[in-house]
This record gives sequence, structure tokens and C-alpha cells, in this order.
Amino acid sequence: MSTASTIDVVSVTKWFGDVVALSDVSFSVSAGVTALLGPNGAGKSTMLRMLCGLTAPSRGTVRVLGVAPRGDVSLYRRIGLVPQQESLFEGMTAYDFVTVSGELAGAADPGPKAAKWLETVELDPGDRRPISTYSKGMRQRVKVAAALVHDPELVVLDEPLEGLDPRQRLRMIELFRRLGSEGRTVIVSSHVLDEVEKFGSRVLVIVQGKLAAEGDFHAIRELMEDRPHRVRVRCDDARSLAAGLVETGAALGVRVDGEDVMVDTNQVGALRRTLASVARERGTRLYEVVPLDEDLESVFRYLVERRR
Amino acid sequence: MGGGGRVSAAFRLLFGSLMTRGRLLVLGALGLIPVLLGLALRASELDTLEAAHQAIVQAYGLGLLVPVVSLVFASAAFGDAVDDRTLVYLWLKPVARWKLVAAAMGASLIVALPLSVVPIALGVSLSGAGSALVRGAVFGTVISVVAYCALFLGLGLRVRRSLMWGLAYVLIWEGAVARTARGAAQLSVNVYARSLVSRVADVELPRNASGMAAAVIVPLVFTLVALGVTVWWLSKADVA
Repeated sequence: MSTASTIDVVSVTKWFGDVVALSDVSFSVSAGVTALLGPNGAGKSTMLRMLCGLTAPSRGTVRVLGVAPRGDVSLYRRIGLVPQQESLFEGMTAYDFVTVSGELAGAADPGPKAAKWLETVELDPGDRRPISTYSKGMRQRVKVAAALVHDPELVVLDEPLEGLDPRQRLRMIELFRRLGSEGRTVIVSSHVLDEVEKFGSRVLVIVQGKLAAEGDFHAIRELMEDRPHRVRVRCDDARSLAAGLVETGAALGVRVDGEDVMVDTNQVGALRRTLASVARERGTRLYEVVPLDEDLESVFRYLVERRR
Repeated sequence: MGGGGRVSAAFRLLFGSLMTRGRLLVLGALGLIPVLLGLALRASELDTLEAAHQAIVQAYGLGLLVPVVSLVFASAAFGDAVDDRTLVYLWLKPVARWKLVAAAMGASLIVALPLSVVPIALGVSLSGAGSALVRGAVFGTVISVVAYCALFLGLGLRVRRSLMWGLAYVLIWEGAVARTARGAAQLSVNVYARSLVSRVADVELPRNASGMAAAVIVPLVFTLVALGVTVWWLSKADVA
């Protein structure tokens, strides 16, 4: 465990009734941006709630900024949270809501700070419309302003880019990176790999309640690309093509499934080249070559199986 | 910003969310009934003191208007925030839990008190029943609004469909069980409030009536215990 870490999670398990949401998760986080990546339902939000003290771990310990986050309300002065849910205090204006959030958090001059942070997220502090009239993207930005108005050391954001248009996403990613470079600890959850790549950050991958991988984004990306892939090849002579592929040794496994050949490989690029030459040699016509497990869910599944 | 400022901010947040047009219209309309009853009694040839005491204060006021108004606002103070998952914006703040509960109690009282006390006092006054009954009705209403708000605040935080459970308590426990069983009457805000009205106004005591001191002290004890439990529940809450 690093002495410089701002968050230390040790052997944390969380269950709700019979459902295990998180299982024996341990990690440490220091200042800068850390992305929490995982499919929907993986346990990301539960993890973030525990970091903020909103729910207690069933087993294990969580320490945030040196203290247990549940029970010590003074810690909440140092935490800013953007929760996943859209709902806000609907009858208030964005400015009033962010100002009240600042007051509750003990910020000095909450009004001017609210105006500053609303402008930072490209909302008009003078807008007198109630939040109930706001789009999802505007609500997300109100939540970000409310989380930052008291200048917290730890910023926890649960899927903060949902509902934002591409330009706003870029602006928000820039903001998160800036907050990280200022020495704050920023934890951002996402289920979108490409989003996480843009954070340029350390990544924690959570799948099915377990920590499946952690480290630099690029190392994890390589890990994901080096995994075995399954490819479906549709052609006019599946048996002949399958026999040819077995002879070349370019595939880890080959199976004929009706008119299709199912090929397992850990080198998709090389397989495509081999496929073309084998088909040419055997006079087989190729109709379609489809990778079957390029979706993020299958990547996550692979990471989980690899850890076992 | 000091602790007082934070309580005030929590109060504003909660008060604003309680004041929906629908609630104010419906409960304001319920408040017209005692006024109309008072005018009707004045025009009638009934014994106005007894009739106003029974109809406006005991049956409608303390039996229905006060618990329903208190239930609607107090159970919503935290209940709405739990239901729409905005409680996190209050909970994750460096504010002592008892201060959040105090803010919610204050927000509930500031709406429920005028919507309960004014119509009942006005109805009794218009009936011509005399100032002693007006005074008794005001005391009884205030003490029961305070006790109900404390009870229903925790209910809203802790229980889903708190309106239904609160109504069950009001209609079944207080409306039926506590009026007949003496033991059950010890746990009924309504019985203490009705006793207080009768003793202050010097009119006929209700069944299972308590003494004057108990009519004041026991609802206040209920209030303190209920608020203490709500603070504890809020501290231990799993917040979505």
C-alpha cells in the first residue's frame, strides 16, 4: 500500500441480500485521474458509493484521505460526488442548487464560486429556468458544478459523460485532466473503452464484482488486443477451408458450423492474410469474415477468465 | 460557512421540494372545511361550543386534517429525496445528521402548522364557540402537528409507501384501536391532543383521556424519541 495514496481499498466485499456486488476487491489510488472501467452492473457504482461512505462494505476496509468514509461527516467537506442518477432538486435554478450545495459543503463565497463553476461547464449562471426544464446533458453539467463548488480534494464521478454531446465530452475530459494535474484525486467511472482512453489515465477494470485488471491504460489495451479472438468465416466450402487452416497452423482452433467456419486465434491480422491465401489455394470463395467478440463485454469476460 | 448557515441551506433545499402546487392546493382545500363548518354552526341553532368541539376540533381537525397534513409534508421531507435519489445531495455534506433532521423537521412544521392551526382556529372562532375553545384547539393542534411531524419524518426516511402506512396508523390505530383500548391510547398522539383541548377549553373529556401534564409531556417525549431514531436511521442509511 502506497503511503501517498488517497484511497486504499483492502479486500472489500459487498453483498445485497444474496447478490454479491463486489468480491474481495483491493486497490490504491493516488492523486491524478483514475478511470473505473467495467460493463453496466459490474459493481462500479457500488464501489464509488463505498468510497463516499454512502454504503458500508460488508467485509474489508475502505480508507479515503486517511479516514474511514462512513461515519466521519467532516470528511465530506473534502469529497465531491457526481452521482449517476439524473434527478436533482427540480424546482430550483442551476445557480441556486449549486450555491446551496456549496453552502452545505461549507464553501466560502458559495455564490461567486457557483457562478464560476457553472461557467466552467458552459452553463449560464443567470439562467432563471428551473432544473426540471434541463436536458440530460445540462443536468450532468449542473451535477459536475455542484460537485466542484467547494473545491474538494477527491472528486468521484459516476458515468459523468452520459448524455453529453461529443464537444461537451471533450471539454469535460479536459476538465477532469486539469483537476487531476492540479493534484486532486479524480475517479471517473465509465463503461466505454474509448472514453477511458481519452482520460489518459490509470485504469481499474471491474467485471462481475471483481477487479479484473489495473494499471496504465495502454498496458490494459494491449492485454485486451492480445487475447484470443473468435472469427466466423462464411464461404462456399467450409470443410475445405477448415482443413486448409488446420494445415497452416494459423489458428488455435477450427470448427465447422453448417456453412461457417469458426476460427479461434490470438492474431486476427495474421489470420486474415492466411485466410486469403488458403482460400485462393483451395479455390474457395470467401463471403464474410466477422470477428464475433469485439464487443466490450467479451473483452471484460476475457479479463475475468484470465485472472482465475 | 458556519453550522447555522448549513442548517439554513438544508432547510431551504427541503422546504422548496415540499412546496409543490398539488400538495398546497389539496391540503389548502381540506383546510376550507373547518371554516365552512364554523360558518354553518354559527347559522345553526345547535349548542355551538359542544358542536364546534366535537365536529371541528375532535372529529375533523384532530381526527383527520392535522394527521393528514403532517403526514403528507413530514413523510415527504426525506421520503421524496429517498424516492428520487436526491438524498445524496444532503447526506454527503459535512453537516451533523441531527442538523439535517432538524432542518427537515423545521421545513415540515413551517408548512404543516399554518395549514392545520389556521383553519381549525378560524373555524372554531367563526362558529362563535368562544375563545377558550379557540385556545384549546390551537394548543392541541400545535402539539399534535409537532408530534406527528416527528413520527412521520422517520417513517418517510425509512419506509417505502410511507403515506399508506401513515394513513393506516392514523385511521386504524388512532381512529379505532386507541379510542377503545386504554393501553393503546397511551401510544396515540390523537388521544393526548384531544385531552389537551378538552382540559384547556373545559369541555367534555374524550374517552381514555389523559391528565393535563401527560397531554403535554407525552407527545413531546414521542417527538424527541422519534427525532432521535430518525437521526440514527439517517446516520446508518444506505444512500443510493
